[in-house]
Amino acid sequence: MLGQGDEVRAETLPTELLGGKAFWETLTSERYFKWLLITPLLLVLAIFMFYPLFYCLYYSAHQFAMPRPPKFIGLDNFRAVLQDVNFWQALGRSFYLLVISIAVELILAMGIALLFNREFKAQNVIRGLCLLPLLISPLAMSMIWNYILHYDLGLANHVLATIGFSKVNWWTPKMALYTIAAMSIWQWTPFSIFVLLAGLRSLPKDAFEAAKVDGATPWYTFRRLTLPMLMPMIMIIILLRTMWLIRLFDPLYGTTHGGVGTETFDWMVYRVAFVFFDVGTGSTLAIISLFLTLIICALLFRVLMKSLGAAE
Amino acid sequence: MKRVAFWMVTFVILFVFVFPISWVYLTSIKGKADIYTLEFSKQFIFSPTLYNFIHLFYKTPFFQEITSTFIVAVASTVLVMLVALPAAYSFARFNTGYGHLLFITISTRMFPAAVAAIPFFFAFKALGLLDTHFGLTMLYLYFNVSFAVFLLFGFFREIPVELEHAAMIDGYGQLAILRRIIFPLIKPGAAITAVFCLVFAWNEFLFAFLFTRLHAKPLSVGLSNFWATIEIQWGPMSAGAALAILPTLTAAWFMQRYIIRGLTFGAVKG
Repeated sequence: MLGQGDEVRAETLPTELLGGKAFWETLTSERYFKWLLITPLLLVLAIFMFYPLFYCLYYSAHQFAMPRPPKFIGLDNFRAVLQDVNFWQALGRSFYLLVISIAVELILAMGIALLFNREFKAQNVIRGLCLLPLLISPLAMSMIWNYILHYDLGLANHVLATIGFSKVNWWTPKMALYTIAAMSIWQWTPFSIFVLLAGLRSLPKDAFEAAKVDGATPWYTFRRLTLPMLMPMIMIIILLRTMWLIRLFDPLYGTTHGGVGTETFDWMVYRVAFVFFDVGTGSTLAIISLFLTLIICALLFRVLMKSLGAAE
Repeated sequence: MKRVAFWMVTFVILFVFVFPISWVYLTSIKGKADIYTLEFSKQFIFSPTLYNFIHLFYKTPFFQEITSTFIVAVASTVLVMLVALPAAYSFARFNTGYGHLLFITISTRMFPAAVAAIPFFFAFKALGLLDTHFGLTMLYLYFNVSFAVFLLFGFFREIPVELEHAAMIDGYGQLAILRRIIFPLIKPGAAITAVFCLVFAWNEFLFAFLFTRLHAKPLSVGLSNFWATIEIQWGPMSAGAALAILPTLTAAWFMQRYIIRGLTFGAVKG
């Protein structure tokens, strides 16, 4: 490394002579360089985050049904929304959907992840095939489900009829919400499977061997060792699935269009703002939706951090 | 015995996940009579036909739609990468904003779509950006950028800082470090991130549905139009869906190893 000093001088010398280059040199010094790199992102955030947020708050304080200009009414929109039965019903449905989807997904995924947590023939191909539902456009898939679950033409009822059951109408007000939940469970269970598999593979082996030596039953090992150590993974699944399920829209568009008792919160926002063009109320709902999401995610994030701390 | 049970359960799982997808392809090559049949056996035994694809190509603006989807997906991915790569590097290497900025960036991902959709609808209307490729591209930039920053952040963090220190001692400037050291090492991670952005943009429906009508209408909106007709045309719809999901199924092959990391924002290394 003898020639090193010479090299540095050879590079810095011309920059002292040229003014433009010196400016460039300052710009790429660590202090400014890191901000220079981040400027495009800050611009995008300013435009796409703060601008809509500001206007959503602005509209939510106005009576603004499309053709007429906005009129300031303070918090009246919030009062009206909170007194609206539809709002509470939609919120209740979203919450119900959230709880049953996540619960079923976690139970199914835990079973499948435990099953796949070993070496077997063609394991990569089989695991890869299980990933496919995740990548398919939810809208396209919902239209396919609409066909498969059609009362007369759908495959599901054909099969049921053939094995001697009576046909099921999947889109009655009583059934439809569960059908939607099932569609979302089908699409997103693979996600939970793979998060849990990743978690299972990172578990320390010696603890399990010690449990085996001590003669612990599989169920006991699962409850006392596997489950607590997988807690961070489970929390990540709950956190992300909550974020995604609050914004459930595509599966509804391809099937019920929010009818037969399936109007979730997100669909209601869409209907009010873009079908009725009641922008004031729509913005109010959007703000409430944002607020709820942030609260739920902050709470879950806390639990996640706690379980991460406990796991380490 | 145990092995037989294992393979039976595995087969059932595979069947449940894969069969509905294969049903799309099966339906897409069925004639009308075989789709509207009330006989169970005919659901599987039929004479294949390309009628649905011909209908799709000649009676619907399929090619215009797929071109729109392609333009918007690629353009938005390029923009996202141009914004996200330097920002993620800055976050990972210099801890810019001490984590707060990074958190704000991620939190855009929690925003309900309507929060952005309502104000932008009016802004786009005023600017004449409704139903344009440019407008939709900008929306997808918003849609994907926070995700891309966070995923890339994880990939940049994996590059050991010692490499850069060594390069600095050898007299490399910041730009030279970027070009000679960081860029070659981040290439695989950047490719994975780009594939994710492409797939998300390809599958996106809500923004496309609200912000396009005719000219810039992408494939997802085109598919949804089959719903809107009085009688749902299952055949052409399946043909459209079959072609629309083909690229993402191909992408799945490349994403396999990274998909969980991608979807959990890098929190879980799958």
